Amino acid sequence: MRVSISDVRADLIFAHEQAWSALSQPGTWWSGAQKRELAQTALLAVSESEPSPPWVAVSTVADKNLKIHFASSAAHDAVYRIARHAATLTSDWYQRTTQEIEPLAFIELCGIVCTVATISAFRRALDLGLPELAPATLGEPSRIKPANVVDATLNWVPVIAPADENAAVVQAFTAVPETNRVIWAMADAQYIPDKEMVDPHWTRGTLSRVQMELVATRVSQQRECFY
Amino acid sequence: MLSWSGTEQGLEVNLENVQNTTGGVDVSFARELVDFATAATEFDLVALTKARNNLINVAGLAVAIDASAVIANFEMMTRLADSTGARMQTEVVQDRLAVATAMGVDKVISRR
Repeated sequence: MRVSISDVRADLIFAHEQAWSALSQPGTWWSGAQKRELAQTALLAVSESEPSPPWVAVSTVADKNLKIHFASSAAHDAVYRIARHAATLTSDWYQRTTQEIEPLAFIELCGIVCTVATISAFRRALDLGLPELAPATLGEPSRIKPANVVDATLNWVPVIAPADENAAVVQAFTAVPETNRVIWAMADAQYIPDKEMVDPHWTRGTLSRVQMELVATRVSQQRECFY
Repeated sequence: MLSWSGTEQGLEVNLENVQNTTGGVDVSFARELVDFATAATEFDLVALTKARNNLINVAGLAVAIDASAVIANFEMMTRLADSTGARMQTEVVQDRLAVATAMGVDKVISRR
């Protein structure tokens, strides 16, 4: 049976369209051209049947034909590693990576990977083609750093104060508010709206909560995510 | 979350079976949902098409679409967690160790 994009809920389409278009627009720490280029590397990483192994810097692999014009090789290497081998990441890797990529820029980079991974997974699961990335929008990143960024115990990355009062995944992107907003808008539409999380009986009328958690658990197992 | 939501609805959840793709949950379409989630995270397009069609046939298109959305969400959240070094507090890990062991996730490479 063929599935059409017109079969998909409007709120989900809207959240995906907003996030997908943001991949080509200037962000907080990356330009539109840089974000678009990094998104292309993330797309390659999640779609390759024979990926580079995690210990290889993908920017050094000639036959990958990466487009590295606007963002650094280190950024492309980090994007590929997160997109394809996230479970292998270590604190030492984070420390090395953020010697070359400023921690708040790293957070936005993670958000680019998350956006590509989630939308491509949704489209692939339903055999819906991926839309083209829009041409990059000109303009500089805002470079607006929130005043209350602090180190956290529950994450490698810095977060908005007060740290560690919410779950690690909830606070992880807070130091880059626009990335945080886009990611959680998708989570609300894809999974469970934030205000409904505590209700074990909440449903959209399709999957029950326990069915949703079964699917979530299986994906997390497949990705070997301890969290 | 799976164990909690099942308990709240009076359902037996066999966590050991989730990783064996047999479902392990006494809820509708558990087997088809697990098969679909498994196929969607692997690279066999024939298996994915079969699993998607099986789910649509037994549960309907709207369920398959929402299952795809949940799959997509956890393709996002697993990367968010692993790339930002997200961890649970020590006491939470201790509380959940039995569940984690039952599911085999105490052995995954991202444990930190």
